[in-house]
Amino acid sequence: MDAIANISLKIDGIEVMVPDGLTILEAARQNGIHIPTLCHHPALSAWGGCRLCVVEVDGAPRLVAGCVTPVRKGMDVVTSNDRIIEARRTILEFLFAERNHYCMFCAVSGDCELQDLAYEYQMDHLTVPPLQQEFPVDPSQDDMVMDHNRCVLCGRCVRACRELVGDSVLDFQNRGGQSLVTVDVSGQLGGSTCVSCGACLQVCPTGAIFDRYRTHYAVKGKSKDWVSKESFCPQCGLLCPTVSVVRRNSLLRIEGEMPGREPDRGQLCHKGRFDPVKTTGPRLTEPLVRGDDGTWQKSTWTAALDRIAGGLEDVRKNNGAQALFALISSCCSNEELTRFQQFITTCWPEGYLDTLDGRHFRTLLGAGSLIPEVPWATMLEADFILQVGVISSQSHPIITSLTRRAILENKTKVAIIGPENPIGPWASFHLPASHEELLLTVNAICIKINPDLATDPAKGTLSHVGTKGFADFIKLIEDSEKTLIIIGEALTEIGDSAVIKRLVDLAQFKSHGASQAPRLIILKPAGNSAAAWSLGVAARQSARNQLKGGLICATGEDGWDPVLIGTPGNLDFLAVLTPYFSETLARQASVLLPIPTWMEVDGTYAFADGSGSRFKRRVLTPPPGVGSVEETLTALSGRISTNPGQPD
Amino acid sequence: MEKPKVATVWLEGCSGCHMSFLDLDEGLADILAAVDLTVTPITDFKDYDFPEATLGIIEGAVGNTEQLEILHKLRKKCQLLMAWGDCAVFGGVNTLRNHISTEALLTRGFIQTESTVDGVLPVHQELPALLPQVLAVNEVVPIEIYVPGCPPSPEAIAHALQEVLQGRIQRMPSGILHFD
Repeated sequence: MDAIANISLKIDGIEVMVPDGLTILEAARQNGIHIPTLCHHPALSAWGGCRLCVVEVDGAPRLVAGCVTPVRKGMDVVTSNDRIIEARRTILEFLFAERNHYCMFCAVSGDCELQDLAYEYQMDHLTVPPLQQEFPVDPSQDDMVMDHNRCVLCGRCVRACRELVGDSVLDFQNRGGQSLVTVDVSGQLGGSTCVSCGACLQVCPTGAIFDRYRTHYAVKGKSKDWVSKESFCPQCGLLCPTVSVVRRNSLLRIEGEMPGREPDRGQLCHKGRFDPVKTTGPRLTEPLVRGDDGTWQKSTWTAALDRIAGGLEDVRKNNGAQALFALISSCCSNEELTRFQQFITTCWPEGYLDTLDGRHFRTLLGAGSLIPEVPWATMLEADFILQVGVISSQSHPIITSLTRRAILENKTKVAIIGPENPIGPWASFHLPASHEELLLTVNAICIKINPDLATDPAKGTLSHVGTKGFADFIKLIEDSEKTLIIIGEALTEIGDSAVIKRLVDLAQFKSHGASQAPRLIILKPAGNSAAAWSLGVAARQSARNQLKGGLICATGEDGWDPVLIGTPGNLDFLAVLTPYFSETLARQASVLLPIPTWMEVDGTYAFADGSGSRFKRRVLTPPPGVGSVEETLTALSGRISTNPGQPD
Repeated sequence: MEKPKVATVWLEGCSGCHMSFLDLDEGLADILAAVDLTVTPITDFKDYDFPEATLGIIEGAVGNTEQLEILHKLRKKCQLLMAWGDCAVFGGVNTLRNHISTEALLTRGFIQTESTVDGVLPVHQELPALLPQVLAVNEVVPIEIYVPGCPPSPEAIAHALQEVLQGRIQRMPSGILHFD
């Protein structure tokens, strides 16, 4: 490829060299020269709508928009003079006059690009009368509010929804001053096809789209008190980079890293952006012990730890160490998982150690012990994506977004087998197979592709096999050069290893032998499942019937652990380590010990595809007195005799 | 030399701007040493026969016929006018009613409110009538100096007064200008 030639031009009298093809704005920014922008966003395509970036070129009477005008050799650009300042201020006055911009009751005052520009250009009054026209407010959605009174029609949200998320929920309706950002076809956010990822919220330069959480002044204070902390989100194995805005150890909001370095382009999903700022029930800050009357009593750490050691020791004495279990959430960091594993193998080597999502692991284990996967970023390289049992809107919304973008940008064909999926309307084929029909369907596909792949001849018949649609679908697989198979957690959950085995073989077959890694992605139910499983924390055998007592380490708020905590029979004793008081856990437990949330711990987390890991620095400080999981387990293991005798 | 005379009026506003002015604390002494305050909301003139003044200061937007009259009189008597606060500068929170007809507004406020029994519309020759829309002061008369803010900070008010006392009429500088 030819290197792009550098050209020279003058900006504000300074001779600069920039690569040809840049816009005036890019050239100026590369050289540290400030040009104001409003509709422009570095993560989005250029728009040229607001004209705030107007500059003078070669002294021409007509100002040009810097964000869309390419540089030319010998150009003489002036970015600021009286005429330009007057033009920019007039543009701002028009923007303010057109709609109802009242900073004193706006949720984003102090954190608003429009306001900042008005201050920068000393717009201390309007020379045009305000239009005084009322626009709708859309409060129909849980996470975000859209207030058209504060919209400047910059179109950032429309572009973000299309270019970053591939969702195209937002667009414009009407014309001129009556233009509105519309949701679907003149609908509202609530009940629309919006996936609540909040990309529009993050790029909105005004208060036209604002979130419902922690926007009150009493909570968020002034922007000068805010600290932005770079981290990443460990709620699924994609580990998206995040920027958390924190004020006095209180999380205000989480944003994606824009412009993003990764194929997800800096977007976050609704879980990554909104779940951590939602109020999710009472935080546990000191140990709770169930009293004789069944109520929860506050306790000292010493008493609580003694109670756990005693309770578990009683279970061991009465039923043997094999009646003890230890379950840990796969949302935990590698350090927590390792310490937990070490704790149980030291204290009760015969005890049952598992992750809360262990049954998914055992399903995969049944299909082969080490199933290689390709990085999720290769999704955009595939020409055909087969999703089986994917409910990615829940666990991996970014996978759904990337699938949509593959369809939009690369004309990738997508087929879905299994439950309803938000990709449904976008897919070339959707085979709504029930759990019982999955094996038959996958078998039927394998027989068509290569009879050798179906070792176990399919029994029974399926109505959709043999239809023209199915034949077209098989033809697509046959014709595709780069078939990518995504196995979802709905498939690993039902425990059908045979289907997974077939799909792995199919992926291997389509990847032309063993020289290449088969194009296969397996979605894991929890953020750090890949590490939990490869570290050997998940049990290879399920053995829950004889369990009488144990320890559960749950990381998230109630309902966060993607797998519900099953009731392990009628327990004699249960201790739970959890950041939040959870009804589900508290029903069975005798002792609750507080631990930090994932935002409050440093820790390593593995990518879902096993391609490596990332070390996450904590964003918040845990409440006083709440130690790490490692510290609590160390204190507990000191109380447990590591050389127990035989059961009495 | 005679001290310049300053008149301040309170139109459709909450008095927050005047409170912010009082918030200058000891700075007030310097300002009062430099000017003569003639009319203020505290002097409570009823006939609004203003004396001539160098500077007239307006808090609040223009929402009824009385405020309209005061503003016009003030303009006639003052060499310079300074608008204080978002209400005077932009119309402010009062403009919420601009999307509602005055009839609907008064009916809701004086008859339909849940706590009202046998309400009547306040119509009387002594009462100023509402204008159809609340206006920013510069939609009525020319204004020389603008100090937006809700309320403007004491610093912004002090800066604006010091500048005008030294004969400079300028836009609010970026570091001091604020709307909230």
